Amino acid sequence: MQAWIDFGRGPLFRLAFALMLLGLARILALSLAAAAEAYRRNADRIVDWKQMAWRTLGWLAPAAHLWRRRPLYGTLSFLFHVGLLSVPAFLGAHILLWRRSIGLAWPALPQALADWLTLLTLVCAAGLLVGRLLDRRARAISRSQDYLWLLLLAAPLASGYACSNLAVSPRAYQWLMLLHVYSANLVMALIPFTKIAHCVLAPLSHLVTALAWKFPAGAGDRVAATLGFAGQPSWIEGARAGVAPTAPARSGEEIYSR
Amino acid sequence: MDGARTLVRFPLTPHPDPPRVPALSEEQRRRAYSSARKPEVVEKQRLPVRYHVEDFQLQDRPRRFLEAFAAILKHTNYRLALEHYARVSAKCARCTAQCQVYLASGDPRDIPCYRSELLLGVYRRHFTLAGVLRGRLLGDPGLSDEQIQQMAESFYNCTACRRCWLECPMGIDHGLITHLGRYILSEIGIAPRALVVSTREQLAGATGNTSAIPVPALLDSLEFLSEEMQEAKGIEIPFPVDKVGAQYLFLAPVSDFLMEADTLMGIAAVFRATGDSWTLGTGNYDAINYGLFYSDHVLEHVLRKIRQEAERLQVRAIVIGECGHASRTAKHFYPAFCGGPDALPVLNIMEYTHQAWKQGRLKLDPQAVRERVTYHDPCNIARLGWIVDQPRELLKAFCPNYVEMTPSGRENICCGGGGGTVSIDEIRPYRMLVGGRVKAEQIRATGARYCVAPCANCKKQLRELVEEYGLDCEVVGLHDLLYKAIVFEPETGSGEARGASVD
Repeated sequence: MQAWIDFGRGPLFRLAFALMLLGLARILALSLAAAAEAYRRNADRIVDWKQMAWRTLGWLAPAAHLWRRRPLYGTLSFLFHVGLLSVPAFLGAHILLWRRSIGLAWPALPQALADWLTLLTLVCAAGLLVGRLLDRRARAISRSQDYLWLLLLAAPLASGYACSNLAVSPRAYQWLMLLHVYSANLVMALIPFTKIAHCVLAPLSHLVTALAWKFPAGAGDRVAATLGFAGQPSWIEGARAGVAPTAPARSGEEIYSR
Repeated sequence: MDGARTLVRFPLTPHPDPPRVPALSEEQRRRAYSSARKPEVVEKQRLPVRYHVEDFQLQDRPRRFLEAFAAILKHTNYRLALEHYARVSAKCARCTAQCQVYLASGDPRDIPCYRSELLLGVYRRHFTLAGVLRGRLLGDPGLSDEQIQQMAESFYNCTACRRCWLECPMGIDHGLITHLGRYILSEIGIAPRALVVSTREQLAGATGNTSAIPVPALLDSLEFLSEEMQEAKGIEIPFPVDKVGAQYLFLAPVSDFLMEADTLMGIAAVFRATGDSWTLGTGNYDAINYGLFYSDHVLEHVLRKIRQEAERLQVRAIVIGECGHASRTAKHFYPAFCGGPDALPVLNIMEYTHQAWKQGRLKLDPQAVRERVTYHDPCNIARLGWIVDQPRELLKAFCPNYVEMTPSGRENICCGGGGGTVSIDEIRPYRMLVGGRVKAEQIRATGARYCVAPCANCKKQLRELVEEYGLDCEVVGLHDLLYKAIVFEPETGSGEARGASVD
């Protein structure tokens, strides 16, 4: 058992952590490259940078929105994020781990504060989960990952808290530690591939939206030409009625990849 | 930018919630969602939507949808947004508190995030590697005809007002998704006939405008309006036509020439008072651009038409009349489609009037309108904070009894006819009972006698709402009231030139 734990804390942790970092770096780089391309192909190059920056900052400072609508949900969500970001990075026991794996260390949170934050985060996670289950609006749009993520994020928190605070048998301790290490690794490995990618992408949202509203000149004509309607705009009566669906059948992916 | 200071608020300022509205009764729900279309046509077109659609080909709809989707992704910048939104969407349901359609209908399918997911789901399944692989592994057949039908209905239930975007922590612009969804649908022949027919007249018809007003009729009504103004104000207030080399080319939403005489008279009076040279062009006098509502292809061609006229008349700037979507399309997309950074500047008439007033070139009678007045922000010009403060400053200069709606400005609630839905007459019950339900309550709460709505679409929708809900309120344009308030200088007008006040 201990060997499994050590494997999880050692090579597997480094792998999961690298996967997370590289995965996030990859999507960030792809997004920025796509944004640059969108900027390049738009003819007017007019972007209201100032307004966009304000909008982005407005959402990065959650206090601005906390008290607005759904205040309970907003507060839970905010505290949940605070705990999620601070405890894993600044827990004393983790800092030892960081030093061992990447050779860097930084000041730790006082253990008592970290414990309280962990409990708070767990309460918030439970609140968010209950809220999602009970609110018919949230339920209507929730996918399974929206529920599962709350459970998955709660797993390392709960097991970690139990390990450091509860007097349990050594056997149970090992099981809890195993759960803690492996669930945390799973979280890190999944981050770049799921909605948690918003941890790096969210600040780009307003840039992306502003650029997507930039229409390249001539795009409409080119779309019509690609679809085989060149010279038959949709607004001329019957122009497209006589045109058979483009044969042979091509899938969307084929068109896109030329 | 004048609107910039409204962008950021002190963090703890409470933001007012939209008014609560009673839930739809069974009878209202039935009426709102009833369709005027013949069941056999719905059956034949396999399209259970409430708006009329021209006959089109039904074969292979999913495949054609995906082809159109792919072609659009290839040539535009939408992929950037879809990729991003598909990744970050957290499904938090905050947008539900903002959407006036959802607040009125209570139908989960009207939740902005639910609506966007219809298209994001297709994007994930067919245009991302993970989606394609998963589809193949699970044997998922992919996009179905039913999904297309669902999108065709859903994207036209949305008024594209983009209020939800203000509330999305992830910054997802659901209005952009609605816009894109409609564009893709239009490329496979699914678009409201009302919009398509108007566009056809504008881009390929004999009159070249959406209301099919021929030039002689236009000239007639302009002459008539000038005579009216001569009588009322005692001075000559002309509508210059085809004046080559004028400073401003003025384009109104063309329906104004039929329905909004007072707005046009107010605008002419403003130009008369400032003395700037302006002109209408007989080559193109229609600013309406339904492209914003269903097709980027149309959008670009309408703007190119405006450019032709501006170049023919060698003007130095383009002024768009009181119309939200026309102003936004011209302001936002004219540079992209018509010359890049060197394109002619585009103004909304309210900006022009406000500027002139600030410069002291426009005198207003501070007691001109003594009744209670409120202001409705058209989504297309207020949401981004473009024109928010200017009309308010003007109104406060001549309406001592001015009141705000709650909420207002950038957060104002859509009239319920946005996104072109106001032009689709067959869905009027829906617009009244669902789309405009919150707006009607909002207007009622102000107790205003005049509701100023500087947008042809908002005006039409709000007038219908006033009628439907029995509100004691008159919907007018900003320049309708300005016309009453403008004071002509003695040297430019005759003795009786002072604007008459109303009571």
